[in-house]
Amino acid sequence: MNILCEFDYYAPKTKSEALELAEKLGTKAKLMAGGTDLIIQLKESMITTEAIIDIGSLEELRGIKCEAGKGAEIGACTTIAEIEFSKDLKAKYGALAYAAGELGGASVRMAATIGGNCCHSSPAAETPASLVAYGAKVVLSSKKGDRELPVEDFITGNRKNELQPGEIATKFILPEPAPKSACKYGYIGLRNAMEIDAANMAVNITLDGDKIKDVKLVMGSVYLRPLISEAVPALLKGQVLTEELIQKVGEAAQSEAKPITDVRASAEYRKDVIGALARRLTKEAYEAAKGA
Amino acid sequence: MSNKMYEVSNKYGNYKDYTREFTEVGRNLPRLDGAAKVTGKVQYTDDLVLPRMVYGKLLRTTHAHAKIKSIDYSEAMKLDGVLAVITGEDCPIPYGIVPHNANEHALANGKVRNWGEPVAAVAAIDERTAEKALELIKVEYEVLEALVDPREAIKRDDVRIHENSPNNIAYEGVQLYGDPDGALKESHFVLEQEYYSSYVNHGFIEPQSAIADFDVNTGKLHLYATCQVPHYTHQQLSKVLEMPMNKIRITVPLIGGGFGGKGVASQADFCASILSRKIGRPVKITYERSEVFATNNGRHPCYMKFKMGFDKEGKITAVDFTNLMEGGAYAGWGIVVLFYTASMVHIPYKVPHVRFDGKRIYTNKPVAGAHRGLGGVQPRFAMEQMLDEAAKHFGMTPFEIRMLNAIESGYTAKSQMYVPHSEYKKCLEVVVEKSDFLKKQGKLPYGKGIGMSGGYYISGTSYTLYLSYKPHTVATIKIDEENGATVFCGATDIGQGCDTVMAQMAAETLGLKSEDVKTVTRDTTLSTFDLGTFASRLTFAAGWAIRQAAEKVNAELFPVAAALMKCRGDEVAVKDGMFYSIFEGNKKKVPWTEVVTTYIESNGPLTCTGQFTPPRRKGIVQGGNIGHSPTFGLSAQVAEVDVCLDTGKVTVTKITEAGDCGVPINPMSVKGQVHGSIQMGLGQALYEEMKIAPDGRFVNPSLHDYKMPTTMDMPEIDAYIVDSFDPSAPYGAKESGEGPIQPTIPAVFNAVYDAIGVRFHEMPLTPEKVLNAIKAQKAAKK
Repeated sequence: MNILCEFDYYAPKTKSEALELAEKLGTKAKLMAGGTDLIIQLKESMITTEAIIDIGSLEELRGIKCEAGKGAEIGACTTIAEIEFSKDLKAKYGALAYAAGELGGASVRMAATIGGNCCHSSPAAETPASLVAYGAKVVLSSKKGDRELPVEDFITGNRKNELQPGEIATKFILPEPAPKSACKYGYIGLRNAMEIDAANMAVNITLDGDKIKDVKLVMGSVYLRPLISEAVPALLKGQVLTEELIQKVGEAAQSEAKPITDVRASAEYRKDVIGALARRLTKEAYEAAKGA
Repeated sequence: MSNKMYEVSNKYGNYKDYTREFTEVGRNLPRLDGAAKVTGKVQYTDDLVLPRMVYGKLLRTTHAHAKIKSIDYSEAMKLDGVLAVITGEDCPIPYGIVPHNANEHALANGKVRNWGEPVAAVAAIDERTAEKALELIKVEYEVLEALVDPREAIKRDDVRIHENSPNNIAYEGVQLYGDPDGALKESHFVLEQEYYSSYVNHGFIEPQSAIADFDVNTGKLHLYATCQVPHYTHQQLSKVLEMPMNKIRITVPLIGGGFGGKGVASQADFCASILSRKIGRPVKITYERSEVFATNNGRHPCYMKFKMGFDKEGKITAVDFTNLMEGGAYAGWGIVVLFYTASMVHIPYKVPHVRFDGKRIYTNKPVAGAHRGLGGVQPRFAMEQMLDEAAKHFGMTPFEIRMLNAIESGYTAKSQMYVPHSEYKKCLEVVVEKSDFLKKQGKLPYGKGIGMSGGYYISGTSYTLYLSYKPHTVATIKIDEENGATVFCGATDIGQGCDTVMAQMAAETLGLKSEDVKTVTRDTTLSTFDLGTFASRLTFAAGWAIRQAAEKVNAELFPVAAALMKCRGDEVAVKDGMFYSIFEGNKKKVPWTEVVTTYIESNGPLTCTGQFTPPRRKGIVQGGNIGHSPTFGLSAQVAEVDVCLDTGKVTVTKITEAGDCGVPINPMSVKGQVHGSIQMGLGQALYEEMKIAPDGRFVNPSLHDYKMPTTMDMPEIDAYIVDSFDPSAPYGAKESGEGPIQPTIPAVFNAVYDAIGVRFHEMPLTPEKVLNAIKAQKAAKK
C-alpha cells in the first residue's frame, strides 16, 4: 500500500529550524518522529497532509538525562528502545522502562519515540499511564517559548491533546521519585507480545513507615485518556495495605473505569480485568515500596 | 533411533540377501536452501523484477453481497501511466480447484458475494499510479442482504448467494456405515454434544504474488506465482485464458508458507495474465495483507453435532456426526473438505458404526478452503473431548480409553479405509510417560491442568480432483559428469522442506551425499509432473517416484561398476560415493564418478524416470473415497496449562508430543513441522479468529488485529519421534506436516477442563470466555 496524498517533506537540521517550520506551516503540517503511527495512517488514507516535518533525527530532542536526586529528562524523540534499555531509567523509573518494552515489536520500538507515543494520544498507548503515575510533565516548545503541562492534562481525548499549531513536544520531565515509593505497570492483552492493550495501568505508592502516604493509580485503555483514580487514594491514604483493602481497590478501580467494547475486548471484560490489574499492581507496588 | 536397513535393488530383479544402514535418510540436515533464504540471496516472487514490467492492483468491493449495476473506469484510463483496466467482462469463464463445481471468477461477474471480492484490475507503470487509478473507478452497486451465519443462510432461500443453490446449500452428503442407530440404542453410555470450530486464516508470511509475462510474438505466457499446486493452476489458467496448456509455463519461485492457502489459483494469477496479454508487458500483482484475508481459503468453520456411544467396557460403539460447514462465498476445496470431515471420524479409533450427515453452506464471507490438516481439526476437536468425558464416566484415565480404542497396523475402517501401518499406541505411551501425565491429571491445584489428545492425518491422496489415471508424481534423475545427479520433480516446496528431503531420498539410493544432489523443481516446463502440495503427499509420493528412478539408475550403473571392480554384477552396492562389492568391500570398490564416466563414454547419456500412482481400493461408496490415503501419520500430545483465575488468560506452559511419521527422512525438519503445527493449533485454540460484522464487513483483516501467537506465547515443546518403519512407504517414511496439528486444540481444551472443571465447546478459548465461566462457577457455589 502506498501513500497517495502528495506532501512536502521537511527534515530540519536544528530544533530552531523545526520550530520555525512548525510555526510557518501550522495545521498544514504533521510532525513525524518515528513515523510508526503516522505512516500507517497515511497509507491507509485515514488522514492526509500537505507537509511532514520530520523531527525524528534531531539530536537536540533526543537523549536521557537521569542523575541521582535530580529526576530525569527524556527528549521527546528518544526511541522507545532507548528507554526500554536505559539502565538509569530501569533503576529509577522501572515501570516506564517496562511499559516501553511492551510496546509493539522490536523493530517498531527501534523507530517509535516517547513523544510520538504521547502525541498520538491513543487511549491504548503504553507509556502515558506510567508517565502520569510518575507525575511527568511534557514540555511544549514553540517560537514563543516553552510551556510545561502535566501529561494527564496534555492528553485530552482519543487522539486529542493540547499540542497547538506551531508547537512541538520536545521533552518530558520526570520528578525524582519520593523516598519509600515504587511504581508498577501492567497490562492485559491476549498475547505476550505485539499487543495493543485491552487495558493497562500504573500504580505508584509512597509509604510512611508501613502506611500509605500517597498513591496514584492510572488506568489506560478504559477511557478516552489516561484515567486517574480518585477513589483509590481516598481508600488507601494513611492505611496499612490489607487483603480487604486490596479487594476494595479492585472494586473502586472497576467502578471508575469507563471502558468501551471494541475488537479487542468487551467493556464488561475490561471492567473485570481492571479490578484484577488494580489488585495485583497495588500489592506489587506496596511490597516494592517497602523495600525501597 | 535404531538403524534402519535397506534392501538394495538389482538390475535383473534378483533377490539379494543384503541390507545396509541408511546413510542419508535420517540425517539432521539443515535446509539446503536455508542459508540462502535467511541471507536474502534467493528471491521470492515479489522480489523479481522483469524488464519492462508494470504493476497491477485489484479494486475490491467493500460490500459483502451486492449486484454490480455498472463499472465506469473512463477516468482511471485518463490517468497518466495507466495502461489497462479489466473487469468481469474480461474474464467470464469460471474456475475452481474442483472442476465440476467451479464457480469463481478472476473478477466478479455481475455480483459480489464477499467483502474484498475484486471487481476490476488496473495495470500501471508503478504501484502508486495503479492505486490512484483504483480510486477513480466508479462502481454502482445494488446492495443485497448479507448472510454471515450458515445456520441462518440455510433457512433463507429468499436470499440465494448462488442462484443455482437453493437454501444456500453448496453440497450435501450422507454416509451410513453399519447401523449407528441400533448401536447407539444398545450402548451402555451415549454422549451428545454440539461443537463449533472457528473461522481462521493460515497467516502465511508471504502474501500471494504473481508476475505474468505474455510474449506477443509467440503467444506464450510465463507465469511466476506463489502457488502450491502449479499443475491445477496451469489447468485453470488454460481454461480461463482459453489457451492450450502447452502455451503456458508456470514457475514457482520460493514460497514463504502456504499451509493450503496457496492450494488454489489466486485472482492475482488470472488478472496479471489477462492484463499482460492485453498490454504485452509483464505485470506484477502482489497482495496486501488485507487482500490475503479477503482471499482467505482458510479453515472451514463447522457447527457440529456429535453422538458417540460406548459399550460397558468403554469401547466406542458408534458415532453419529452432523456437520453444518460454512464455506463462505464460493466452492473452492469445499466438497473435498466436507467429505474429509466425514472420513476423519474413522481413525485413529475403531468405530464400528458411523453416520455422517454433512452440508456445506454458502455465506457472504471470504471463501473457506484448504488449511493445514483440513477436515481433521474440526471433528478431532469434538471427539477427543468426548473421549475424555467418556473416560471420566467409566472411571478410566484419558490414556486408558484411548489405548482401548486405538487402531493398529493393518486396520480396515468401516469406510474401507485401510491403515497399512500404525504406531499410534506407542505415541500415546510416549507422551504419557514423558509428561508424567498419569501423576498429574486430576491432581493439580485449581487453575493448573493437563490434557491429552491424539490424532492422525493422511499421507497422500488416492485420487485426483478430476478424472485421470495418470501417475500422481513423476521424477526424473539425470546422471552426467558435469553435474553428477540432478533430480527433476514438480513437487513444490512451500517452506516445508521437500527440496531437501527429495535430495536426501535420491542420495540414499544413489549412494551419494544429499548436498551433491541437485533438484530442479517448481516449474511446469523444466520439472516433471506432480499434482501439488496438499494432503501431506510429497514425501510419500515423490519418495516412491525418486526411489524408483534412482533404482533404475543403479541398475544401469551396477554392471559397469562390477566390470570395473572385477566382481559379479549382483554383488554390487553403493554408498557414500563409492560402489563396492558386498562380499569384498575393502578390496573391491570404485568411485561413483568413475563409474559414471565409464558408463557415459560407453553407453551415452543416462536419464531414468520413476513414477508414483497410489493404490486403488475396491468397495468404496458414498463419497468415501475422499480421505483414502496410501498410509497415515499418527501423533499424540499432552498440553499443560496455567489458567489465570483473575483474567481468564490461558497460558500453555508445555506441550509434549510424540509422532509416528514412519522413518523421519530429516528429523530436524520433522521437528520443525511439529513445532509449526503446534503454533498454528494454539493460534486457533486461543487467539485467532476472523471477525465479520453482521453486514459482512471484515473487522480485523490485518496481522495487527488478527492475532497469531508470537514466539513469546509459545510453550516449551518436547517432541519425540517414535520408532517406526512403514514397509509400504518409501524408506519407511510417512507424513508429519499435518498430523501434528490434529491433537493440539483438544489437548489444550482437555487441559483447561482439568484446570478449572469447565468444558468449552467452541474456539477460540478467549480470556473473556474463560473468565465468565470462572465467574459463573463462583456464583453457582455461593
